Amino acid sequence: MVPVFVLLTIGLPWLGALLVWWVGNNHPRLQVSAAVFFSVTAGIASLALLFDTSSKAIISVPLGGVFGDFTLIPDGLGVFLAAIATVIGSLAVIFSIDYMRGEAQLGRYYALVLFFIGGMAGLVLSGSLLFVFVFWEITALCSYALISFHNDDPKAVAGGIKALIITQVGGIGLLAGALLAYTTLGTYEISAVLEKSTTLPPALLSFLAFGFLAAAAAKSAQFPFHTWLPDAMEAPTPVSALIHAATMVNAGVYLLARFYPAFAPVPGWKLAVMIVGATSAILAAMMALVAYDLKRLLAYSTISQLGYMVYAIGAGGVFASQFHLLSHAIFKALLFLAAGSVIHAVGTRDMRQMGGLGPKMPLVRATFIIGGLALAGLPILNGFWSKELVLESGLTGGPLWLYLIMVLGAGLTALYTFRGVWLVFYGKPRSTLHAHDAQPAMRIALVPLAAGALISWLAAGPFSQMLAATLPFHKIEASSTLHIAEQVVSEPSTLVALLVIALGLSVWWQRQHLTGLVTTFKGVQNAAIQNFGFETINNSITRAVKNTGEALRTTQTGLLSWNVLGILAGLAIILIILAWGV
Amino acid sequence: MTFSAANVVAVGVLGLLGVGFYGLLATRNLIKVVVALQILVKSAILGLILAGYLRGQVVLGASLAITVIVADTIVAVIGLALAVQVRRKFGTLDLRSLSTLRR
Amino acid sequence: MVSNAFLWLIALPLGSSPIIYLAGRLTRKQPRLKLAQWVSVLSLLAAWWPFIALARAGQQSGGFSLTFGAVDLRFDGLGMLLAGVALMLATLVAVFSGPYLTGEEGEEKYFALLNTMTGAMIGLGCAADLFNLWVWFETMAIASYMLVAFHRNQPGALEAGMKYLVQSAAGSVLILLGISLVILQTGSVNLAVIRSAAVSLPGSPALLAAGALFITGFGVKAALVPLHTWLPDAHSQAPSGISAMLSGVVIEAGLIALLRAIGALAPTTASWGYLLLGIGALNMLVGNLLALRQTQVKRMLAFSSLSHVGYMLLGLGIGFAFHVEDGFTGGFFHLLNHGMLKGLAFLASGALLYTLYISRQQYCPLMISDLAGAARRYPVAAFTLSIALLGLGGLPPLSGFMSKWQIFVAGFRTENTWVIALVIFAALNSVLSLAYYAPLVNTLYRQEPSQAVQQGKPMPFLMNVPLLLLALGSVVLGIWPSLAGWITGPAGAVLMTLVVR
Repeated sequence: MVPVFVLLTIGLPWLGALLVWWVGNNHPRLQVSAAVFFSVTAGIASLALLFDTSSKAIISVPLGGVFGDFTLIPDGLGVFLAAIATVIGSLAVIFSIDYMRGEAQLGRYYALVLFFIGGMAGLVLSGSLLFVFVFWEITALCSYALISFHNDDPKAVAGGIKALIITQVGGIGLLAGALLAYTTLGTYEISAVLEKSTTLPPALLSFLAFGFLAAAAAKSAQFPFHTWLPDAMEAPTPVSALIHAATMVNAGVYLLARFYPAFAPVPGWKLAVMIVGATSAILAAMMALVAYDLKRLLAYSTISQLGYMVYAIGAGGVFASQFHLLSHAIFKALLFLAAGSVIHAVGTRDMRQMGGLGPKMPLVRATFIIGGLALAGLPILNGFWSKELVLESGLTGGPLWLYLIMVLGAGLTALYTFRGVWLVFYGKPRSTLHAHDAQPAMRIALVPLAAGALISWLAAGPFSQMLAATLPFHKIEASSTLHIAEQVVSEPSTLVALLVIALGLSVWWQRQHLTGLVTTFKGVQNAAIQNFGFETINNSITRAVKNTGEALRTTQTGLLSWNVLGILAGLAIILIILAWGV
Repeated sequence: MTFSAANVVAVGVLGLLGVGFYGLLATRNLIKVVVALQILVKSAILGLILAGYLRGQVVLGASLAITVIVADTIVAVIGLALAVQVRRKFGTLDLRSLSTLRR
Repeated sequence: MVSNAFLWLIALPLGSSPIIYLAGRLTRKQPRLKLAQWVSVLSLLAAWWPFIALARAGQQSGGFSLTFGAVDLRFDGLGMLLAGVALMLATLVAVFSGPYLTGEEGEEKYFALLNTMTGAMIGLGCAADLFNLWVWFETMAIASYMLVAFHRNQPGALEAGMKYLVQSAAGSVLILLGISLVILQTGSVNLAVIRSAAVSLPGSPALLAAGALFITGFGVKAALVPLHTWLPDAHSQAPSGISAMLSGVVIEAGLIALLRAIGALAPTTASWGYLLLGIGALNMLVGNLLALRQTQVKRMLAFSSLSHVGYMLLGLGIGFAFHVEDGFTGGFFHLLNHGMLKGLAFLASGALLYTLYISRQQYCPLMISDLAGAARRYPVAAFTLSIALLGLGGLPPLSGFMSKWQIFVAGFRTENTWVIALVIFAALNSVLSLAYYAPLVNTLYRQEPSQAVQQGKPMPFLMNVPLLLLALGSVVLGIWPSLAGWITGPAGAVLMTLVVR
């Protein structure tokens, strides 16, 4: 049965994508029903897989030549991420029923979302590096197409292409690593890389390790590739929830977690991973603090939380990072979808025009606050447990100064979360926006996610047992939920983190009395508003390439004599090179 | 370097090549461009014959040369036909005006 | 039996061309009959039969020779590859061009020349001696000059045709000079004889100079930078079916002619491979940068052909310099994919050019902005064009990705730091190319249709058939790349035997 479920998890969304496209925009009801049906059934198939994981390839198709075997492995890590992709995917599709109602070209929208869900499931289930890369690219393509979905809007087009180019540039690290692994080991199998990593030459292994780190940083929007994620917020909000919060951006974290046992001995790698994660976490938290666009605020917070996961992997806490990934996928999807309800109701993303929306949309407020509390890391929501685990593994596996940065980040997280909640739902209304509460399909998506944010941490024990049983190289300790909870509560570091979070809250509470503090950090604030200069770097690279292209066009003179001169010059150069004797 | 027939022809090959390419680079008249091409091809024909002669393969060189002449004539005819059409449509044979496609 | 099939393979396309011309001439009064087109399509379809018979028989024996008098032909892997790609594109282009040329004068010339060009390319792939190679090459070139200037009342087409003719003819003279040098040094034009002679002449200046002349001469046709300047003009001004042929197989035919010639000289020096690698890098970068800022669809596609020749050269150069067979095979796989994908891109944009402009008797370039919102009125053309563009950009699961991957594997197999750096450079170029492919796809799916789309005529049904077939081929090869092994493998093996001493 397992092979069938694996194939259904990937195949059903793709089949649905074809069907939705085929049905066309003239039958919107059929189209939406098909999209919901295929995504939900894929979700059920993937949940069924959770009960029958294994570390062996259950499907293996030899492709011949340099293309190796196409293998699918339903191990704990893969199945868990596939379940996140399909379940949150189906919730996002359900949410879209109301959110996207009446928009044009819905066939393209649903087809791409379904194509993405299948691609993401394929990415985490494939056991061959070539196909990890194939699915990696497919998810990037879907992300691009969905960011630019409103393609009459130049900002959406620009955001899409930016996301595509930056993730692709980073993806070259994965490409090069996969090629190197294949030419050295003669196979694309991930398990072979993990198994034989000790026999590989050190230089080669560090090439792989740092190549994958670059790919992961680009995909997971980590420093210094993080700039694409905020601009990707031009996508329809369910897409932001699914792709840019809960699933695709986790692919980088997944990659690092998957290869952790092989790369951990590489000198400098663990520290580099921790620094990448910590830098992203702290910089993005600062940028979130000054954001006024509701979705950009959430995007910065995603970068920051992904930074926590990356940091945890660098510190050796693979389980902590994956546990936080689970919590984050749930509460961030919840936050995005709740924010989507707000945006759908009021028609703007600018928090300066919101305020006082709470009484008009009580359900949205309640769910958003649950998500916000989980994000801030307050007990007993899922974000609390997983963030504490991350910090704990950082304290044991990493240097103290990085730990302190991450704790400071936790305080900032609490601060910006409350600032956001306040700006949207409380205070006086700052404009006369009409608002209404979430519509039925939106509620269907919001409520389960809110419940998940409250109780998903109860699965910590079984989750650790599943990972321990099917990841032979990771040496993850199987444990029970009770034990994990005990461990978190008894650690003094939990108290430290909670104190800092409380400090963050009180800073928000006492913000009127702290104007002196604000002026002290004026410089930091300005730098954060300017994106710490990363935008400038991006823009200057883009401009340089464009200008070179434009300048080169003058060589195409259109004059025959110059063209003939080109031929003669070519001949002369080739003759000289040959005479020189390369 | 002795003053042999082969050397004279070799100089001829290079000379014609130079003249032909000079023509392509320097003339602005389309008809002259076609003429320059013809000169270039003559250099190649001479080269083939010379090479055949020097290796004692006169028949090979000559048969190649004849084939080249045939092909080259067709090219010249098409070139001139295009030139006529260019004169009709552009009103000039000047190469400089034949540069609307650029960049 | 086999030599009969060989004869038919070349005779069917070539021999049918006067018949096509006559049939078209005689039915000039009944243009709706489209007799010229159908004779052309049928003759090309018929040529598949000997092709398949030869390909089957060739799997066992490795190749066949055929000699008529002085004409020495050999159907080996390389010939099979070129014949296959040429036949595939020519058949589909002949189907496509019927509706495209509706109302044009001189349809019979178009189809007659298309068949001549195809036959000449099949011959070129099978040429076993240098001079034979040149004759087929020149025949192909002559047919293509006339086809580029087919719209002979359009100034742009005339200008492009003229430039193409002059540059190509200059290149052809260089090839002849190279042949003279080879005769001078070895006394023969037979490629096998030349190769065995070259083994005892390492570093011979005459053969090195001959090789340089071949690279330059054939390189004009194969669009090596800086010999490429004719290409954007010719590809953008030719009728779209011919653009597909030029970009999808004619420049590749130039490349294969180049490989035949250099392959025979391979023992002279190891520099050929490094030269190809250097030119390949230049082609990728220059092609992409030039394409980046184009506003005309066909001109952009033309420049992107430069970069794809660069990928092929990367694979082939790896094969030449480091004797990695996957380099050759990958390069040829990319040649096949480029034939399909670029052919598809030109045909699909040609279909749109036809419905938006030509069917309304307007001859103006198809601008990228004209395509805004084309997907709603022309779903098949827009969808297949998107597949072509994304495949060219190297996105999976399309065949362009798989051939690039194979080339990259070959690059890593060399275990040479510079080649690995070059592979990473190629991958970066692939990303750069997405910066112009992806926005075009986006434009196609815009919500607001452009004025041109609003005024466009409906798409003739027949035009969709070749588009769908090519798109299907590219998806199938993208999912199951080794299906192309029967045609790319033998071609790679031929070059492998030439370079390995």
